[in-house]
Amino acid sequence: MTCDSILKLVPLYYYGELTPDEEERLEEHVHGCPACTLELARQRALAAALDRRQIVAATMLLEDCRSDLMAAIQGGAPRVEPSVKGAWRLFLNAMAASWNGAAGSGIARLRQPVGALALIAIGFFAARMISTTAPPSSPSNDDVYSTVRSVQPDHAGGVAISLDETRHKVVKGSMNDGNIQRLLLVAAHEDNPAVRVESVDLLRSQSGSTEVRDALLNVLSADSNAGVRLKALEGLKPLAGDSEVRKTLRRVLLTDDNVPVRMQVIDLLVANRDDNMVGVMQGLVQKENNNSVRLKLEKALRDMNASIGTF
Amino acid sequence: MAQDAAGAVGARVSPQVDSLIRAAQGGDQDAFEQLVRTYDQSVLRLAMNLLRSPEDARDVYQEAFLRVYRNLHAFRFDCSFHTWLYRIVTNICLDQLRKRKVRKEESPTIETSEGPIDRMDSFEEESAHADPERSLWNLQLKQRIEIALEDLTPRERMVFELRHYQGLRLRNIGEMLGTTEEAAKNCLFRATQKMRAVLGDFT
Repeated sequence: MTCDSILKLVPLYYYGELTPDEEERLEEHVHGCPACTLELARQRALAAALDRRQIVAATMLLEDCRSDLMAAIQGGAPRVEPSVKGAWRLFLNAMAASWNGAAGSGIARLRQPVGALALIAIGFFAARMISTTAPPSSPSNDDVYSTVRSVQPDHAGGVAISLDETRHKVVKGSMNDGNIQRLLLVAAHEDNPAVRVESVDLLRSQSGSTEVRDALLNVLSADSNAGVRLKALEGLKPLAGDSEVRKTLRRVLLTDDNVPVRMQVIDLLVANRDDNMVGVMQGLVQKENNNSVRLKLEKALRDMNASIGTF
Repeated sequence: MAQDAAGAVGARVSPQVDSLIRAAQGGDQDAFEQLVRTYDQSVLRLAMNLLRSPEDARDVYQEAFLRVYRNLHAFRFDCSFHTWLYRIVTNICLDQLRKRKVRKEESPTIETSEGPIDRMDSFEEESAHADPERSLWNLQLKQRIEIALEDLTPRERMVFELRHYQGLRLRNIGEMLGTTEEAAKNCLFRATQKMRAVLGDFT
């Protein structure tokens, strides 16, 4: 074997990819060749340097990935495009879950998104119509969106169109502005879940205010869209020790039908141990149907040095 | 050299994994979840190491296992499940790496008011050293390693990642990437040569 041919085999030797024959011949050569001995030492040094770069995926990230996946599968979600990220992806997932839930729980859950979409569609077309026929006295700077309630032809060949007019207005301000906060609190209850998820996301930074905290608790307990509820949970993270918040979290853990929401609630509850919590979790772990949630509960109990069963 | 438990399992499908696959093919959701848990840690680590972004790694994870979920019925046990799964994962990662090469974005560092920092600093295994000289050396080494890795083609990067960090055999890697063992060997050789050229002073 020549030094040139050894050079090519050194990485393969290091990774144990040579045949026993090749290995033996290489070792024989290296034994009597200082240049190739150095070559092998450099390969080992390179590998050692690269070992330092290895990333250990955070446990939380793995848990998040698992719950995202299970939620997508259980919700029968369509494939989520990799480019769709953050709140929007969360929203899409939650929408998919809500639509799937509607099949089981009747029309109630379906009504909201369908109603909102219908209004948006009607509004869009009406706005197009009005923008070309608006009387000159109409304010020209603001867009006008309308919902057509009825169309009634009259005997004289004309038509009476009943519509609700909404003027488009942009309000700008800082998140500390009381008016902006009040508008966001209203927006957190809008029909359109995309508006709700954005508003709750923005309100998260203001969770120190009692008004915002109560609104987030209300959203968490009552919003029909899991994406919006998850946003509210994120906002409540800094308040996980607050007794009012914990009361709601306990209730949500026992009643919410969405897996990612329940998983997130467990995280928040275990961050501040209390004995009532241990009892609730021990009771729940016995009857929880979802594997991910059950495993998380078991882990949480172990972390709190509590037994998994009740005795 | 890093070794991988799931990789070792994958080389010879254990009867347990085999029965999980069959149960999942029959619609057993719990079996599917267990199957995912057998392999997902190494899949996520591969994606994180290659893409250096938790968001992108999360997308790869979701995309890969959803594809597995939708296509599991078509798995016929004519190769190991690990190989089949990694064909899916490596395809998705290679696509991402190629897009990045074209876009020339997603640098491993991000600019801040205090200068560039590594995107993945919060995920590094090693905590900051008390010795400033050692810290500086580590920082420089880390930056050079990133430069060296950026210099590899997506395929070289993938072969290196699978061999060095995931501990897979080159024969399996060739099978996953739809190429021969010989081509995988050449890829590994080119990758180590390129890295040694960049990391010369450090090794």
